[in-house]
Amino acid sequence: MSTLPPPPDALAGPAAVPARVEEPPFRVPRDRADLHVFLQAALTLEHLTIPPYLTAMYTLRPGTNRTAFYAIRAVVLEEMLHMTLVANLLNAVGGKPLVAHSRFVTGYPALLPYSRDRIPVALRHFGTAALDTFLYIERPEYVAEPPGHPSVAGDTGWTSIGQFYNTIRTGLVRLAEELGEAGLFNGDPRRQVGPEDFYNSGGEVFPVTGLASALKALRVITEQGEGVSRTVYNTDDQLFGEAREPAHYFRFDEIRRRRSYGPHDTPASGPTGPALDVSWEDAYPIDPEAKVTHYPPGSAVRRAAERFNAAYARLLWVLEAAFTRDPAVLQAAVPAMLQLRDLSVQLYRNPHPDPARRARGLYASATYEITEELLGEARRSLPGGPGTTALPSGTRW
Amino acid sequence: MSPAPRHGRGRYDVIVVGAGLSGSLIAKELGDKGWRVLVLEAGTGTLDGWPGHLDALDTFYGALAKVPNSPYRPNAAAPSPDVLDVTGLPAGGYRARGYFVQNGPLPYSTDYLRARGGTVLHWLGLTPRMHPEDFRTRRTYGYGRDWPLGYDDLEPHYRAAERALGVAGDAAEQAAAVGLPFPDGYVYPMHAIPRSYVDDVFAARLDGATVREAPGAPGTTLRVTGTPHARNSTPDRRYDGGRGYRPAGAAGLPNYGERCVGNASCVPICPVQAKYTPLKTQATWDRRRVRLLTHAVVGRVLADGNGRALGVEYQEYEDPAAPVATTRTAEADVVVLAAHAIENARLLLVSRLAGHSDQVGRNLMDHPVLLGWGLARHPVGPFRGPASTSGLESFRTGPARRERAPFRIEISNWGWGWPAGSPGSDVARLLGIGAGPAQPRAKGVFGARLRTALGEEIGRQVSVQFLMEQEAEERNRVTVDRRHPDRLGNPRPVITYDLSERVKRGMAAARSVSEEIFRLLGAEDRTAYEPGPLSPGYFRFEGRGFAFNGAGHGGGTHIMGASRGTSVVDAWQRCWDHPNLYAVGCGSMPSMGTSNPSLTMAALALRSSERIHRDLTEAHRPAAVGPLSPEPVGDGRTEGPA
Repeated sequence: MSTLPPPPDALAGPAAVPARVEEPPFRVPRDRADLHVFLQAALTLEHLTIPPYLTAMYTLRPGTNRTAFYAIRAVVLEEMLHMTLVANLLNAVGGKPLVAHSRFVTGYPALLPYSRDRIPVALRHFGTAALDTFLYIERPEYVAEPPGHPSVAGDTGWTSIGQFYNTIRTGLVRLAEELGEAGLFNGDPRRQVGPEDFYNSGGEVFPVTGLASALKALRVITEQGEGVSRTVYNTDDQLFGEAREPAHYFRFDEIRRRRSYGPHDTPASGPTGPALDVSWEDAYPIDPEAKVTHYPPGSAVRRAAERFNAAYARLLWVLEAAFTRDPAVLQAAVPAMLQLRDLSVQLYRNPHPDPARRARGLYASATYEITEELLGEARRSLPGGPGTTALPSGTRW
Repeated sequence: MSPAPRHGRGRYDVIVVGAGLSGSLIAKELGDKGWRVLVLEAGTGTLDGWPGHLDALDTFYGALAKVPNSPYRPNAAAPSPDVLDVTGLPAGGYRARGYFVQNGPLPYSTDYLRARGGTVLHWLGLTPRMHPEDFRTRRTYGYGRDWPLGYDDLEPHYRAAERALGVAGDAAEQAAAVGLPFPDGYVYPMHAIPRSYVDDVFAARLDGATVREAPGAPGTTLRVTGTPHARNSTPDRRYDGGRGYRPAGAAGLPNYGERCVGNASCVPICPVQAKYTPLKTQATWDRRRVRLLTHAVVGRVLADGNGRALGVEYQEYEDPAAPVATTRTAEADVVVLAAHAIENARLLLVSRLAGHSDQVGRNLMDHPVLLGWGLARHPVGPFRGPASTSGLESFRTGPARRERAPFRIEISNWGWGWPAGSPGSDVARLLGIGAGPAQPRAKGVFGARLRTALGEEIGRQVSVQFLMEQEAEERNRVTVDRRHPDRLGNPRPVITYDLSERVKRGMAAARSVSEEIFRLLGAEDRTAYEPGPLSPGYFRFEGRGFAFNGAGHGGGTHIMGASRGTSVVDAWQRCWDHPNLYAVGCGSMPSMGTSNPSLTMAALALRSSERIHRDLTEAHRPAAVGPLSPEPVGDGRTEGPA
């Protein structure tokens, strides 16, 4: 992956070259090491959507656009679930999830990986442009067969996220046959995050211990996002006995079209249910390419933006510790995330300090610039930071 | 019975009056067994659904006084009492406005809520079980009234209630610290809500310490004990023989509220609905069987000359602001009053039913609360998490009960929120805003200085709440008087209320214990009871001033007992005088005991639903041809209708 150095004080124009996420080679994973590469890539991919979704959510003016708020919130939490399930999967096959690394957080805007088209994913405020991107990310579409299949003989690269996950599925099944199920799933079961480690949205965190739970995890990840063919709904009811909800694509579509899906609506019919109260004006417009260096040194907004990135770096360490050492650490992620929420208020509600941008009606925003230096500092601040006092004694970092 | 019951014919198997905790549970149980249930709710259904919940949150955030009823809109057709209705006078005494007419020596300053979901919408959510002693104080200690059933009779229903409400707790700790018997290996559906930092501060100084409630009295050993909550926490995999438990999320927003996240506004409203409310039970009603009618104020119960309840008469209104109502009737085989202790009594009195024992409306009880507050030397991190996560349980039981009321002590996590209106009052004081609008504004502090000052003071606030058991006294009562109607013409409750010498002695003991607690904590005791507008419950006892608050635990008004001559309902909460009329809720309790009563109320409701099911099954049994089948034995479970 080539992370672009953040442009110095210059105003990044729309011509800025988007970051590119490193994709695994276009083939079915051949062995365990290969599978680790694919699953790490999946972990990075699941995280990629979180900052843009959080940005849309945090730019809503408080108390307005409530339907949109709860919809985006549910989706972003489910992306966190997907991340956790991929980490469980990677741990289950003896891998080691990597989270606290500057390569893990793409600079934004980034190109949507595993896509046929060139889709930039930027940190945009709540609005039609952001939703159009989200719809593209979650779009249910024809999923090509995994590489090696005669039907894709002419392709040289990935054409969809669905195809990428299908390929992981094929690789898993194949490797389980080659190595035996017990041979493939030889990871330490103590690394598995379970329902007791807290989750608060659709679906459930569950340990991955074999092929069945691994395939279930992949189903959750793809079906919560895109739904299942010919319906607008996810499969939470079948997989977890929960309420059936529209998949991510259709929840975003409801907001975009300001109308909800009714019980008999299909992807073809579009939403024909009650109108939704969505107000595009009730959001804080932001510069999608904002960088910390755009804020005057020493200003309150600059401090908040720096603290936001530091808090985010710390959150990544908490997640890495939860995924690689002790799942109980995950509870420390809750205060870490609340810290982000508090800092976001100090950013998005303040007009941009740069007069030119302020004149365009822009507000300050979080930049999600995670550098190695920041991660190093965050690593040192881990013990004793927010959320650590309540951890069970003997928790290892 | 028809296998495909239809609504809208005006006749039901059961009419339930009130869509609160008891009513919702009974409707759920009977609907699931196939009976046609009509639930009549006097209040509105505004709170149903997520938009209604958000509206209530907005109302709460905007309210000047964050009292329990502050999120919920006033309703002239079905008015609710409010804690703000009662104010103290400068030299002691009180003035009462609002829904209640009060004429007692002391105010009954406890509220409830008439709305879909009921008072449990604004409860704190604590669900301790009653102590076995609480059921038999007359036999054991010579005061109050005994229950016609004991802890062991209710134990299975406690477990059923803990499932229905979704209780988080530590059964082993409850057994060891409170002395509650549980079946072997029982665990609550969810792991205990974690202890707060305030609890840890108390435990570090109090655990194992001995205090005396009077000079020369025997010592009592303290132990900070976690309180069970009907609040979502981590499910316990061991629950239900290893089947585990799935937390019930918010009503109206899927996949939300499945864990308590420490919002610290449980009273009056949990923003994420991690706290149980009856709306969660209502979401699981079998909608083919259970029909809910809101805006339906039941005015009286209809009965025939033989004492059989026939149904109810109710007033249906459209607009809660300008009530204009149409009177209708509904009929059923069984009528269940589940409208709150005071409303149930009011309905029975207006209907002139269940009066043989002359006990309807009498024995009004609450858990009068004495507060103690102090300032710790170090920050204790108040205003985080539920209002109380732990308590001190050692004063609930034992021989001291012969002399004074026993009490349960709640350790507050919300600083001086209850005793002094913190943190809002602290902010006002530091800004220089005086107690009344007539006072000129003093010089205040602002900005960083304000934040620092607030942090230093609020962060050190500690308080304890003493819930006194109040015994049944016939003189404490609800009556009705046609001269005091509400806007729909229904007579308002007239309340006569006082505290007995036992309760006052209990408060004197509690005051001493409070002083000991602050001494052990090394905190500065700031407790002061003065007459004034915010102390309607001020009184003097043995030369000292006290002020008490209502707990919202009204009960006793259709008291349960072993004989028709001395009580209103039997052990099934069935009116002695009317075999098909039930009056359920805390109004049935012969004693309030030493625990927050909602769990016990829920257990009683579930127990009654079994009896109602049996009554209905027997009434609908085809005429027997040939030898009569024997009466049901054991717990009497019989087959449901087809």
